[in-house]
Amino acid sequence: MKKVLQVQSLKKYFPIYGGLLSRETSQVKAVDDVSFDINEGEILGLVGESGCGKTTVGRMTLRLLEPTSGKVLFEGVDLLSLKGKELAMIRPKMQIIFQDPYSSLNPRFTVERIIGEALSVHGLAQGSELRKKVETLMEKVGLSRMYLKRFPHEFSGGQRQRIGIARALALNPKYIVCDEPVSALDVSIQAQIINLLQSLQKEDNLSLMFISHDLNVVKHLSQRTAVMYLGKIVELAPTELLNRKAAHPYTQALLSSKPSLDPTDRKRPIPLQGDVPSPLNPPSGCHFHPRCPKVVDRCKTEIPRQIELEAGHTVNCHLYDD
Amino acid sequence: MHSQDPLLDIQNLSTFFHTEENIVRSVRNVDLKIYPGETIALVGESGCGKSVTALSAMRLVPMPPGNFENGRILFKGKDLLQASEQEMQKIRGNEIGMIFQEPMTSLNPIFTIGDQIIEAICLHQDKSHEEARKLALKVLKKVAMPSPETRIDQYPHELSGGMKQRVMIAMSIVCKPSLLIADEPTTALDVTIQAQILDLLDELKKETQMSILLITHNLGIVAQYADRVAVMYSGKIVELASVENIFASPSHPYTKGLLNSLPKDTISETLETIPGAVPHPAFLPKGCAFHPRCAEKMSECEQEIPGLQPLENHAEHQTACWLYNKTPAL
Repeated sequence: MKKVLQVQSLKKYFPIYGGLLSRETSQVKAVDDVSFDINEGEILGLVGESGCGKTTVGRMTLRLLEPTSGKVLFEGVDLLSLKGKELAMIRPKMQIIFQDPYSSLNPRFTVERIIGEALSVHGLAQGSELRKKVETLMEKVGLSRMYLKRFPHEFSGGQRQRIGIARALALNPKYIVCDEPVSALDVSIQAQIINLLQSLQKEDNLSLMFISHDLNVVKHLSQRTAVMYLGKIVELAPTELLNRKAAHPYTQALLSSKPSLDPTDRKRPIPLQGDVPSPLNPPSGCHFHPRCPKVVDRCKTEIPRQIELEAGHTVNCHLYDD
Repeated sequence: MHSQDPLLDIQNLSTFFHTEENIVRSVRNVDLKIYPGETIALVGESGCGKSVTALSAMRLVPMPPGNFENGRILFKGKDLLQASEQEMQKIRGNEIGMIFQEPMTSLNPIFTIGDQIIEAICLHQDKSHEEARKLALKVLKKVAMPSPETRIDQYPHELSGGMKQRVMIAMSIVCKPSLLIADEPTTALDVTIQAQILDLLDELKKETQMSILLITHNLGIVAQYADRVAVMYSGKIVELASVENIFASPSHPYTKGLLNSLPKDTISETLETIPGAVPHPAFLPKGCAFHPRCAEKMSECEQEIPGLQPLENHAEHQTACWLYNKTPAL
């Protein structure tokens, strides 16, 4: 299968300044040595709790954030080596849909301008042709073309997210990062947007990175799922396999803390002690060890390596390393 | 049926907001009884009136623009809507505790968490500062705050979101309320922390026999922690039943639609959806507010609002839908 995106040992350390002369005193390891790839026409789910680095990974794959080190290959081209015109040429192929439909649309622009801006910036259409393209895009995401001249505040959350999706689709991208696109929406609207994303993905054979903290949504949409904890991917597997045979204690805990929809099945989740530690001062060895119910001595000192349990199912945990 | 009298009895409550342009009908003729020791979940989408119902019970609705149009809220037999502000201050935080959605903004940043818990104690109980501090420490231990002896002297910004929510819970249960209103207590928290907090509330409920009014939009939480469920839509309760009945045999088309639109454990191609969007509470459609989105709409739905009536052979399962009953709302 053709790989659209290949990410190799990607790192992002944010500097922390302090002291009298505001010197760099320490670093937040937001993303620490992350590798994965996304196939053509595939949806990869990226799950984890707040602050684990999901969004940072997503933005780095688009080069909206400059990585500290590592490699990002987009259709075989090293994205980080591109400059100026070359980078501008490749940008239309990769897009992003943001979490918050309220703050990600310019309140002073009409829908026509929001959706059409990228087309005119890249000189792909203008005048009546531009309007026609915007109208087609609006219909594609289920918005009436009557809304062309309206402003974002006149729309509901779900409709705004549709505008955000139309904007991302305007340049016929190959790869879209969806950064929690439904978590700000109500349940009944969530389903509408998920269905829309799914049908658009099939129609154009798009590759998506779907970032979410909602395991049910990721399970419904994605073919493969990566689980992140404190800047590292701790487990990656085909979604069905991950849900059936989660190997990492953190993945198991995440899956069991997801409340079941069956009121007669009130099992108590695997208790996870404490909170997510600060990435400013992560625990030694395996970052998860202070909360892990299956911790052994080795976890406290040694960072676990990646182990392939079966084809396509990798886990970073000492339990499986003998 | 319940043998005891209800602890909180909301009768025909309507809370409207009079703005310059129009009247926002946030809560419309709501009837809800909460019995001692039960957890009742109030479910619905944003803007459906869940929080305004809870704020009405605490008399925390800003007036004006808010106004109680009609109804009574009986707490232990006393009408809270008629109570004086002084009487309300004795009830709030003492007999009715409340936990808000955002632990980040609900705590005062310039006081230590110990000071804030001690304030709640000293307001309602005749205790010295020394005794109150001891009690604050005890309650922090009870909510499983890690190293409470050091935490008690820390400020909110030194705590994580989960710990702040534990402080909020500690403050709201320290006076042993008989009713705890929890407005989206875990929405701002991560899933693994969410389970910790909800389990804690459940344990406290069992220990103290308090009732919990749990406001949430997360149906998974409802299934796991509620005894009874009230589903709200556009300011009205459209279905009220035991948690088992809501999930096994929902009757109102809105409840059915909500449950169907959730991603299931079985992998299916597309999700079922409810078409359209929630109407603005200032511009409600005539008749049943759900009819423009309802797949089973009939002619009477567009004319008159259906009353909340028990289903045939199910006195405890009530629904407000013309499919099941022929009684209009008051």
